[in-house]
Amino acid sequence: MIELETIRPFFEDKKELLAEILNRYPDYGRRSAVMPLLWEVQRSERHVSEARVEEIAGILGLHATEVKGVMSFYSTYHEQPLGKYHLQVCSTLSCSLAGSDQMYDWLVEELGIVNGETDRDGLFSLQKVECLGSCGTAPVLQVNDVYYERMTRSRCKEVLAALRRDELPEPWLERGGDNVSAEKAQIESES
Amino acid sequence: MKVKVNDAELELKAGTSAIDAIFAAGYDVPYFCSQEYMSPIGACRMCLAKIGAPRKDRDSGEWIIDEQTGEPKIFFFPNLMASCTTAIMEGMVIDTLSKEVKDAQNGMIEFTLVNHPLDCPTCDKGGACELQDRAYEYGAGQSRFVFDKRHQEKHHALSELITLDRERCIHCKRCVRYFEEIPGDEVLDFIERGVHSYIGTLEDGLPSNFTGNITDFCPVGALLDSTSRFRGRNWEYDHTRSSCLDCAVGCAITIDARTGRIERIKAARNTQVNNDWICDGGRFGHEYVDADERLKTPLIRRDGKLTPSTWEEAAAFINDKLADLGAKETGIILRADATLEEGVAAKALAAQLETGQLDHFPRLAASVIPQGVRATLNDVATSDAILVLGDVSEEAPIVDLRIKEALKGVTPPELMPHGVPLADLRLKERMPRQREILTVASPYRCDLMKHAGSTLTYPAGTEVELLASLLQAANGEGEISEEAAMRLGSSPEQLNDLLKRLSGAKNPVIIYGAFVLAASEASNAVQALAKAVGAKLLAIGPMANSYGLEALAVLPSHARYSVQEMLRGSAKALIVSGLDVAKDAEAAKALKELELLVVHDSFANATTELAHVVLPAKTAYEKEGTVVNLEGRYLPLKPAPVENGQSEDFCGLVKFLGETMGTRLEGRSVRSARRLLKKRLQLDLSELSEEGYLSPAKAKAASKFKLKESYELEGNLLLTPSMIRHEQLSRNAHLHAVYGDAALRLNPADAVAQDLNDGDVVAFELQGIERQAVIKRSEAVPVGLMLLPALPEQPAALLWLEPTKLIKAAVAEVLA
Repeated sequence: MIELETIRPFFEDKKELLAEILNRYPDYGRRSAVMPLLWEVQRSERHVSEARVEEIAGILGLHATEVKGVMSFYSTYHEQPLGKYHLQVCSTLSCSLAGSDQMYDWLVEELGIVNGETDRDGLFSLQKVECLGSCGTAPVLQVNDVYYERMTRSRCKEVLAALRRDELPEPWLERGGDNVSAEKAQIESES
Repeated sequence: MKVKVNDAELELKAGTSAIDAIFAAGYDVPYFCSQEYMSPIGACRMCLAKIGAPRKDRDSGEWIIDEQTGEPKIFFFPNLMASCTTAIMEGMVIDTLSKEVKDAQNGMIEFTLVNHPLDCPTCDKGGACELQDRAYEYGAGQSRFVFDKRHQEKHHALSELITLDRERCIHCKRCVRYFEEIPGDEVLDFIERGVHSYIGTLEDGLPSNFTGNITDFCPVGALLDSTSRFRGRNWEYDHTRSSCLDCAVGCAITIDARTGRIERIKAARNTQVNNDWICDGGRFGHEYVDADERLKTPLIRRDGKLTPSTWEEAAAFINDKLADLGAKETGIILRADATLEEGVAAKALAAQLETGQLDHFPRLAASVIPQGVRATLNDVATSDAILVLGDVSEEAPIVDLRIKEALKGVTPPELMPHGVPLADLRLKERMPRQREILTVASPYRCDLMKHAGSTLTYPAGTEVELLASLLQAANGEGEISEEAAMRLGSSPEQLNDLLKRLSGAKNPVIIYGAFVLAASEASNAVQALAKAVGAKLLAIGPMANSYGLEALAVLPSHARYSVQEMLRGSAKALIVSGLDVAKDAEAAKALKELELLVVHDSFANATTELAHVVLPAKTAYEKEGTVVNLEGRYLPLKPAPVENGQSEDFCGLVKFLGETMGTRLEGRSVRSARRLLKKRLQLDLSELSEEGYLSPAKAKAASKFKLKESYELEGNLLLTPSMIRHEQLSRNAHLHAVYGDAALRLNPADAVAQDLNDGDVVAFELQGIERQAVIKRSEAVPVGLMLLPALPEQPAALLWLEPTKLIKAAVAEVLA
């Protein structure tokens, strides 16, 4: 006999959070809550399954199709669970001219996965994304929420090696063309 | 406002869109996303025009004058504007002919065609395709795009009724907007974005009663009606504009037939009735017409067997038998969707046979012609307080859409020289709906309740009580007690609010259907209530011409001659048209005793089994004639060229019978019937306009309604009207695939109590009629109630059925 697993509603034990999100919007604009709700699910489950889409639609009194339309519009929401480290390669013009295509090709070879895929261990996901707003320091690799700017082959190797050791390296931020440490970048940006 | 389009100057109302100004001036611009009755969004960028307007000096308030010409100077927008989303301004100048505009049109066509597969030779839309026409008229004729086109799914079944070709889609968003704006169910949306976006749904097979309309206005061959896919090209079809006879609304339809077969039904425009929309029942419910087993020749029973014959022989046979019978012994039964002309013929035949045994069926207890101020469908669409009694979405689906139109608070658009405005700027995407104006009351939770501000699920059979309480309060004859309101599933506040809303509104409308018409007390009460609160009335009759046949008095001369009596032995000979009356076991017994049974029908059934003569009948799509819809509007029927052998309508039957009798009966042809009707109605039905003619209201003083002491409306099984015509469902393969067999809906708690599961097939006897149904558990049904679709022979009513009499049919060899 097949054991059917019942899916517990995501927001079942998060009533306060749900109320807080819904309270941000007036009654007639209830559907606006679709983005924060999707984001809660994405952040905690690393993907938004169809069951969750239906749950959100139910909460907001929408059709699931509508929620899916919003979700699929944004590249930040995923249908399949993401790996622990989500590698996002900017492939818009500046990065592309600065060699992001080669970086992407190298990552494909190194990881054995292509755009939109997750490796077998669930460690890495690879995705080509549009402009990350860091054109001056192209090419850029974003790992989860962290930027690694002006990437070269050796830096790529370094980052990947660290990730394989399950260490997320410090953000690699550059300002004005000089390689600066994260702390220095922080200080500079504050001053 | 004065506007100049190229060289034409015209005066238009403020709020008109520039695209409508262009069309009103007799010029043309291409467009893909604009659609009548829907919001303009400027998505396709095809209707670009060079637009400018004069400007006033801020200080002096004077027009800024062009020094060279001495005229107000025209300031052009820096870019070309999408004319569908631009409102006209005083003195606006619109240019659609300059090279700048032409180049932009060329460019947009080229962009639109970048990912379009150009598979026109194998596309059903070829020849009737907006993209094809516009590319030909406005395109450069060649593309500079040398890369691979986008490849996507080409045969995606959105449902059993609609097939989507995602490569052909040009993302105009008409279908997506349609579902949100017209039926209000957003079941279709863009998935993904940019070049990857496609039309898709997460709902299982588009759950809406109005999905087919998207195939009418899709500007390319992306959304296609599955019943007509690969069946023919547009120029090969004979297009016949007619009216749909599936319910009392009478929507305008175009019947597309080819080589004697109906291939598809499309919606036609009637700005007074259905705008541009029809329901799926009417659109896809035509396949039965071409079924192989259709009766095409007259049959006479000889030595116990029905043998093929001719109309003349059949008429002679009938005449011989009738000659032996006395006056008043023959009965004539018409189906309630027979045309007025057929009604005239039936009356003439009854007069010739000197019988008062004439009736139409289904006919409910109360009159379908409201005594009071009648509402039109446009009244419904402009109403500011609506009370709905019953399940209109199933009973008369277009009424459901017209109610939703009222919720938007936008009146139907005024017609322009080119017809309905292409871009009505009052309409917006995701408009707020004034749900509070709508109250829906029904014995079970129905679809329209999702859109209503106030809903009321009253116990089935308490219509009289509900209306009587409302009437009492409205007349100031007594407060609604807490207890009485509770019994009706409501509260005194809700009912008082409803009354306040109705009497405070400018144009209140009360819409009621079969559940009220089933009891004359309820019908009287609703009419008295309407009078008390000053509301107009819209009654939904059981069939397409219920109104017309009642007004024409195709009725028995005496209560003892009604259909029920005729089928219980009051007649010695019967002529039955379009009804399978022998379904009822008791009636079948009486029918066997008849001297003569003549059946006029399109298909063999239990009644033809008993018939002495079977005459082939035309279907609704093959008749010429007139019907009167629920508003009292005369609507024309035109015959589509369908291969139907020797089928005749009731006029034809009367013609042949009259000839053998040696008389020329009124109504022996449509023309002859219309001559008589012209005298009676002062209306020439052969010159009826496409939009029909609204008969002047005959106001009669409604007698004051007296409450009866007790009500006998009780039962646990409610026969409900449905959008789908269940008597033909087995021959409508596509509809059957979506809607399945007739369902017996009941509350899950009851289902558990009776050990019934979803999908169980049950057989049972209901008032003599053997019914079979599939169990469907539904939270929408209150505990203790069961819902079953009504049939023409078994119209809406509340009955008793012992749940223990539900016999599970053996699931024979399903698994084998």
